[in-house]
Amino acid sequence: MTFQLPLSGSDLLLLAPEIFLTIWLCVVLAVDVTCRHMDHARLAYLSVGGVVATLLLLIGFEYAGVRGALLHDTFVLDGVAIFFKIFIVVATALVLLSSVDYVRSFRLFRGEYYVLIMMSALGMMFMASAQDLLSVFVTLEFSTFGFYVLVAYLRDDQKSGEAGLKFFILGVFAAGLLAYGISLVYGETGTLVFSEMTSMPGSYGLAIGFIMIVAALGFKIGVVPFHSWIPDTYQGAPTPVTAFLSIAPKGAAMAILIRMFYVALATFRPVWVLLFVAIAIVSMTYGNIVAIAQKNIKRLLAYSGIAQIGNVMIGLAAGTKRGSDAILFYLLTYLFANLGAFAVVIGVGNRIKSDEIEDYNGLNRRSPFLAAAMLLFLLSLAGVPPLAGFIGKLYIFVAAIEQELYLLLIVGLVNIVISMYYYLVVVKKMYINEPADPTPLSVSAPLQTAIFVGIAGTLLLGLYPAPFIDWAVAATLMFSNVAVPVAPGG
Amino acid sequence: MGEWALRATLFAPFLGVVVLLFVPNRHPLLVRAVAAVSAGIALLASLFLFLVYDADRGGFQFITRWVWSEELGIAFHIGVDGIGTPLVFASAILLFAGVFISWHIQDRTREFYIFLLILAAATIGVFMSLDLFFLYFFYEMSVLPMYVLLGIWGSHTKGYLSMTDPEGRKRRDDVGFILNFGANSKEYAAMKLTLFLSAGAVCALLGILLIYHFSPVKTFDILVLREVAAYDDTVATIIWLLVFFGFASIAPIWPLHSWSPVGHAAAPAATSMLHAGVLMKLGHFSIIRVAYEILPAATRELMPIAAVLCVFSIIYGGFVAYFAKDTKYVIGYSSSSHMGYVFLGMAALDYISLTGAVIYMFAHALATGMLFAMAGWVYDQTHTRDIPSLGGLVRNMPFVAGAFVIACMASVGMPGTVNFIAEIMIIVGSWERYPFQVVVAVLGIVLTMAYLFKMMRGLFYGRLSPDYAQARDMVRWVDRLPLLVMIGCSIFFGIFPMHFYHIVRSTVVPMVDRIHQLAPLVTQYPA
Repeated sequence: MTFQLPLSGSDLLLLAPEIFLTIWLCVVLAVDVTCRHMDHARLAYLSVGGVVATLLLLIGFEYAGVRGALLHDTFVLDGVAIFFKIFIVVATALVLLSSVDYVRSFRLFRGEYYVLIMMSALGMMFMASAQDLLSVFVTLEFSTFGFYVLVAYLRDDQKSGEAGLKFFILGVFAAGLLAYGISLVYGETGTLVFSEMTSMPGSYGLAIGFIMIVAALGFKIGVVPFHSWIPDTYQGAPTPVTAFLSIAPKGAAMAILIRMFYVALATFRPVWVLLFVAIAIVSMTYGNIVAIAQKNIKRLLAYSGIAQIGNVMIGLAAGTKRGSDAILFYLLTYLFANLGAFAVVIGVGNRIKSDEIEDYNGLNRRSPFLAAAMLLFLLSLAGVPPLAGFIGKLYIFVAAIEQELYLLLIVGLVNIVISMYYYLVVVKKMYINEPADPTPLSVSAPLQTAIFVGIAGTLLLGLYPAPFIDWAVAATLMFSNVAVPVAPGG
Repeated sequence: MGEWALRATLFAPFLGVVVLLFVPNRHPLLVRAVAAVSAGIALLASLFLFLVYDADRGGFQFITRWVWSEELGIAFHIGVDGIGTPLVFASAILLFAGVFISWHIQDRTREFYIFLLILAAATIGVFMSLDLFFLYFFYEMSVLPMYVLLGIWGSHTKGYLSMTDPEGRKRRDDVGFILNFGANSKEYAAMKLTLFLSAGAVCALLGILLIYHFSPVKTFDILVLREVAAYDDTVATIIWLLVFFGFASIAPIWPLHSWSPVGHAAAPAATSMLHAGVLMKLGHFSIIRVAYEILPAATRELMPIAAVLCVFSIIYGGFVAYFAKDTKYVIGYSSSSHMGYVFLGMAALDYISLTGAVIYMFAHALATGMLFAMAGWVYDQTHTRDIPSLGGLVRNMPFVAGAFVIACMASVGMPGTVNFIAEIMIIVGSWERYPFQVVVAVLGIVLTMAYLFKMMRGLFYGRLSPDYAQARDMVRWVDRLPLLVMIGCSIFFGIFPMHFYHIVRSTVVPMVDRIHQLAPLVTQYPA
């Protein structure tokens, strides 16, 4: 193995979005340090501007068809990478927009907040391109580093401290597992690059190594049984951070999972399909049933997130090209509905200083806009047409039925009905119950923008999904030969 | 022209929703006007469809097909046949009537009309979908507005007091309370209805996915599927059962009916009308559209299940309606019972009886719509639905009493109303195959007379309680118009049924022939 890192000018082009974002976050940091008396909201808009510019750059890459690999294939820019980078950048922009009001409540370190968010986003953008286990480890830790700080950002709030500590201890434990798993896999195969592992023989060391890696990534996406940190961390962390944590790392980690299983472990497909069937069933059922008992909206969304990611696992359990398309599309629908719901939670929380579902009583009378938006987002999460979530669920189910995973399909369908219940309970509080305090709630302009983007995404993906489906299909072209669908009746 | 009328029927209510989003609640009259105009456009367009449908040609007409997703084999494919046309018309009539029946609603008027229009438009969408995906899409879309409509503008049924526990705490928000089967709150009714119908819907969705998976062409297009579909017996049986019981839960067939009377009782008048009038027919219609079209052989083998269950529906619903003391429960159970007639007409798989079943759906929509509209009016005036405590209202509300008598006559199937034609066709058509069920059905008519006349006497005749002395009649034209429209349609088609009959028959005859393997599929539309 050579230790030269060849980088030419055209190679740097592939890194342009990341380089741009790095420079931009240095600029934001510099502005924050030099202009101490500037309104922090301007800093937020500056950050959003940089993120949107990155987004435009990535969309340009997608249109121009820029593809390539760098540094001995450790960094790739392919369809999946660009898809997930756009996914992460959109999430970051929406989170930054919905943070503007929330950050006002911090007394210190307002500027650093935006920098840390962008830094985590940068780490996750690298994750989306990670093609070997070493870069998986480095980028994963890089992105999590920012979150460790962000989760504990409310210095005077005990819950936030608890959340930070819990997240940190379990996160470090997961990092340890990941490192140990990587060393086992390297010991068995002598390589770290996914594409070089395709034809390796099975062994116990390899199996244990990959199970540890799955556990570490399972921690990131929060599937059962690696979910225990999720509810407390989601509840304690500042709400915009929760929103970010609930979507962006899931996307980035899914990119790694898809790559790892579709490329490195393609030959062991019959084995890992069973693993993901089990994970999907347990996650969906556990998340949905426990969500029924929640009294706090952030905890409710946390458990609903566990169930949603269980739905995503159905796509992985299908283990086909169609499965990966469905995962990509599903995550896109989840992005808008989930971030939108959190934006409403932030909007309500900013005004009434509470996240208890009880305090959503009569929200429709206090702010028809917030209530209607929340209604749309929750129904999309529940999978009700004509909203995005329905198409996402249907797509995932189509992928599952092509592989004749009937048990998974039935569990998934039953879970739709279960989840309908707790989403409707929130709808009931907002629309049917009378408010204890009927004063109207106002929504600030940046938050309103974030919510409108969420609504637009939820409706657009529901009513006219064809371009997005085509995009997902094109992005995963490289997985075309992963598995041939079972013939009907076969 | 016909295509445009079809699109207008579907999209006018949706357009109304979009406009309403920009009309503030400060202008309730403007809100109502927007709703009325969009419902009126839908009504006129559907009337036009009804008039220009070519009964000689038959089949699916006024087709629009836009590819929606190549990848999944989904197209936005709409069109109507002789079964869809009258049901679209009925939905539009009830939407139009419902807009006016709800004229008095003060609380969050805009939201009410938004949800009402979505409900009706989604129902209309089901009746014209020629793609399984969109059939399910609109079907599920019609269920959710019911939750909000019942929850906000509905009313508690009896037993409201049981919502506080012995220590006086409110229990309305407990999980245990909402899932407590036997409670009578509107929240409970709304949740039960939504969960029941969603459970039925996902059951049907599983069937639809199986149809998609096992068909040689990966498409959701009904017109393509009915030509290419060839399933082996086991698969066809499983799909048929999933589709039948999934959709029959909204119909509602015994024993899946229990959500329905509770839901009717808790719903505001316009919602009850749409719910009993057209939402329940989504079940029968979807069974015809999916099972009859795509699985004709399984339908022939398995439809006797419906013939058995419909007996329970008719008798059980009838007896409960007779003993119920709440006006809306009586009408709700009578609807459940009458839906059994439609199942009987469908189960006999005969030209006459199936035609009768379709006409019955239309007739029942009008009759039940009228009954619910007037039960709602009586409730608004007296704030009670308890029949024993009411009486003598004929002195205060002669117009309502008169209309109520006509509605009861229609519901019973008096000659001169379209219900008579439908009933007689079901009975005549089913006699050969299911004589026992026909005897039950005739007894059911007697039972219908008994409970409807009992309710009529209880509400309007006898001694007027002084509590209700200030109850008013319908005097404004906005109140009377919807009833006059429905009564007019009911009697007009009762006297001049031939155009109607030809339309329905043009579709039913080839369908029944195909089920009995007397004739191959007649295709009017290239795949």
